[in-house]
Order: sequence, then structure tokens, then C-alpha cells
Amino acid sequence: MLRTYILLGFTFLFFHLHTTGDISKYINMRYSYLSFSAIFIFAFLTIVQFRIANRKENGHHCHDETCCHHHEEDQPKWKKALNYFVFIFPIASALFLPIATLDSEIVKAKGFRIPGFETESADPFGQRQFLRPDTSIYYGKEGYKDLMRKELAVFAKQSRLVLNDNNYLKAMETIYQFPGQFSDKEIEFDGFVYHDKTTNSQQLFVLRFGIIHCVADSGVFGLLTEFPENPHLKNDEWIHVKGKLSTIYFQPFNVTIPYVQVKEWHTIKAPEEPYVFRGYD
Amino acid sequence: MIKSFLQLNTIFISILIESLPFVLIGVFISGIIQMFVTEEMIEKWVPKNKILAVLYATLIGALFPACECGIVPITRRLVAKGVPLYAAIPFMLTGPIINPIVLFSTFIAFGSSLKMVLCRSIFALAVAILIGLLLAVQYKDDQLRKKEVISSSMPKTLKEKWMGTLEHSIDEFFSSGKYLIIGAFVASAMQTYIKTSTLLAIGHGKMSSSLVMMALAFVLSLCSEADAFIASSFQNTFSFGALAAFLVYGPMIDIKNTLMLLQSFKTRFVIVLIAYITIFVFVGSLFI
Repeated sequence: MLRTYILLGFTFLFFHLHTTGDISKYINMRYSYLSFSAIFIFAFLTIVQFRIANRKENGHHCHDETCCHHHEEDQPKWKKALNYFVFIFPIASALFLPIATLDSEIVKAKGFRIPGFETESADPFGQRQFLRPDTSIYYGKEGYKDLMRKELAVFAKQSRLVLNDNNYLKAMETIYQFPGQFSDKEIEFDGFVYHDKTTNSQQLFVLRFGIIHCVADSGVFGLLTEFPENPHLKNDEWIHVKGKLSTIYFQPFNVTIPYVQVKEWHTIKAPEEPYVFRGYD
Repeated sequence: MIKSFLQLNTIFISILIESLPFVLIGVFISGIIQMFVTEEMIEKWVPKNKILAVLYATLIGALFPACECGIVPITRRLVAKGVPLYAAIPFMLTGPIINPIVLFSTFIAFGSSLKMVLCRSIFALAVAILIGLLLAVQYKDDQLRKKEVISSSMPKTLKEKWMGTLEHSIDEFFSSGKYLIIGAFVASAMQTYIKTSTLLAIGHGKMSSSLVMMALAFVLSLCSEADAFIASSFQNTFSFGALAAFLVYGPMIDIKNTLMLLQSFKTRFVIVLIAYITIFVFVGSLFI
């Protein structure tokens, strides 16, 4: 009977995530049809399991070796209990524990460094998906260059870059790819504040978590910003910045990176949708 | 502490949400095979020529959709029924890797790109064929722990077969889902608590990063329908070759698989098999 409840639990969990919309805090909605169909499969299996359990209780014990090859009944009780606990745990923790939003704590845990600009870097292990989105792994070398050129054409035309949820990752990738092309361009975007121990009092990183499929494959992307004076901001405060793009030689990482000379800024409420997603078309 | 546990939990649940639909498809197909495909059907087609048999079995394995947890009992049954070891083992090795569901989930997990899908399939085929050829030379007998008389009485009516399929699917869900949940939890704990720099320190060179990912694949014991999602979460940390090693090594051999193999085959043989898989996957990953 416990199995029926567990299957019912999973059915309810997937149903709940979809109806409340919380699912978007876990996965890229582009793949939501998969988990949506899971609701129906789980519901169906619940009914089947319920019938099987009933049949067994009524004494029609399955006499066929091929369908009863898992000798559940032979296991000691504590082992069975532990077995089912493994299934109950994620259902309970997903329903009752609050959903955490990835923040500066995770940035610290994941480590933080800025990759060099050359995509065909000699050290493939040095490529980290922090700050600069790098999707080159998904495309062939040539395909990737074509794609970047196409995106450069789109963004370079605009005299002012206004980043939103949809173009954030693409724009960041293009800026890091061709920093020179964007010098002196105006930029406007949102993000949360991250103070690295290498930044001075006027500098901070403005970042957002980008998600490819689910929270587990997230990376943090954004730009170094420099304020005219110490803005007294704390980690994880969300701000809107307006400023001019430029490049700077960033001593701690021994590399020249794009950065924003902030002209205007104000704090904002954490957005409804803290993550940005990237589609691959 | 509490905050980081909540973040761990969020990552953990997100891995499950992504991978459970694939596990469901997997267990259902495994149930259909259990009920509708007989060992005799496959066995009839094993060629007499050893090399042909290895190639043929590898191909059958590639067409045969099964989870690595479901394929060990099937392999044992095949061997007991007279399918030579050198054909049954390559079948077991490619079955969980090269099949539509696993390749589709790999495709999705790696950003709808074919690169990893192709790499994973070719790598797995090469390893399976090499091991099959080695076994053909090395072993004459079946290496089973004990001969058993198997009475596989298949249900007769179609209704019974479908009911059996569903029942098997649920059994399979509960036996393989357990390892998926534990694996997802370990993976998210590592993401939350182990600093990337620590992982990088272990897996910095090409060789050690392949070894780290192979060890991880062994310990996590993920279902091949879902492991691509875990692998893609390590994209930031490990090289492409090391991830390919993870995706080929894990479905071929891991903790739960080893336990199942030890129940069916002689210990010496299992050790030799694990050694072969380890060496071939490791060397192969260095060339990617």
C-alpha cells in the first residue's frame, strides 16, 4: 500500500509544481512538457499499483515468476522502511521546504573566476561558466563563430543595450566575445550585487544566474561595475544599473575584461523570475 | 547551514524533476520487453562466427532499450540459455547506453546538441566491441556462479502480458528510482558543499579529471536515462572527454551493477570485466 501512496505523492508533487508555477524555479520551462506528461504517467501508475495491491490483499497472489522477481517480501523490515524513506524524502522536502533561490552564497561555493577571451584556449579546464556565458561546447567551432557573428550584428547595431530576461545571456556572451566592439556603448541591466574579495570599495559584480535546463546546471553571468563612489550595497541586493561599457585590466585575474562605468543606479525588488534562461535555436 | 541545505534541496529536486520523466519512459519499455520479447527470439539470431557474434550482439544491444539495472538479469538469463559470454557481455554494455531514450535525454541535457550523443554512442560501441573480442579469446565457458534451471513461464493472454508489463514497470521504478534519488542527492550535496576549486584540484589534468568522473559515475550509480542531466551539471567543472567517460563508464559499471553482476557471475570474472571496462574507457577518454 505504501507504494500506492508514494506514486500518488509523486503525482501530486508534479501536479502541484505545475499548477502553482513553482516549476519555473527548478527547470527551464522549455522542457516543461516532459514533467507535465509525468503527472499523467504517475497518475496512471498509481491506479495500476492500487489495483495490484488490492489483488494481492484479496489473496490472488501472483504466481508468475516473471512478474514477481523482486523479492520484496524477503527483505528485513528496516531495509524495506529505509527503501521507502528514500522515495518519501524528496516528496516531503519538495512540498514542505521553501524553495531556495540561488544567491551569492552559491557563487562563493561554486568558485569565481574570469576566463580569458580566447575561446580556443590551450587550457580547456580553465574555461569556467562564470560571468561569461560560453555555449561553444554546444556548437562546432565554425557554427559557434557564425552564431556569435550573427548575434554581434544584432547587438552592435543598437546604440544602447537594454538587457531583459530574454536577451540577457545572449548579450553577455556577445559582449565578452567582442569586448572592443562595445566600448563606449550605453548599457542598462538588472542583477544582484556580488562583492568579490578582489574588488575594491567602488567596484562590485552585478550578476544573474542563468539556467540551461535545471537549477543544477546553472552558472552565474554578469559584469564588473565601477561606481563613482562607494554605493554601500550588500550582497544579494538587486539593482538596476545604467552606464557606459568599457574594458579594464583586472589585476586579480590577470585579464582584460569588459566592465560598466555606472552613471545611474537604483535598488530594485528581487524580480519575480530571478533566473534567466537561454533557448537554443 | 539551514540556508545551504535549502539550496541543496532545491538543486536535488530540480535534478529529480528533470530526470524522473525519463525514468518513467525507461521502466515502461523495460516492462514491455520483459513481457513481450523472449530470450529465444534474440538467441536464434546469434551467428556462429565469433567476431560476427560480437558485432551482432553489440548492435542488438544498441537497438535494445534497457536500463543498466534491468539488463544484468536479462544478460544472465541469456548466458544461462546458451548465448556465448562474448556476445552477451557486449550486449549488456551497449544496451543501457545506445538506445533512443538515453540518447534523447543526452540530447536534451546537453543543450539539444548532437555532439555528446554521437561521442557517447561511438565511444560505447568501441569499448563494447573490444571487450567482446577479448572475452571471445579468453573464456570458453559461461562463468556463471551456478547453473540454474530457469522456468520462464510467460503469461499467455495479451491482457495478462500488459498487466505484467505495468507491474514490472512499477517494480523497476522502485528499484532503479531509489538509486536515482540517492545519486541526485549526493550530486547536489557536492555542488553545494564542495567548492569548485577543490574539485578542480583533484581533476585538473586530463588524466585525473577522467578518473575523477569515472569514480563519480561508479559511486553515484545513476540510471542511464538520467545520468546525462547529472553530467551536464558538471559541464562547468570538467572537460568534454571526462564527461564522455562519465557517460560511458557509469551505465557499463557502477555500484549497483557490480552487486548484481556478483550475484550472477564468478567473482574473478567480474573483477576482470571491471578492469577491462575501466582501462578502455580511461584510455578512450584521453583521445576525446
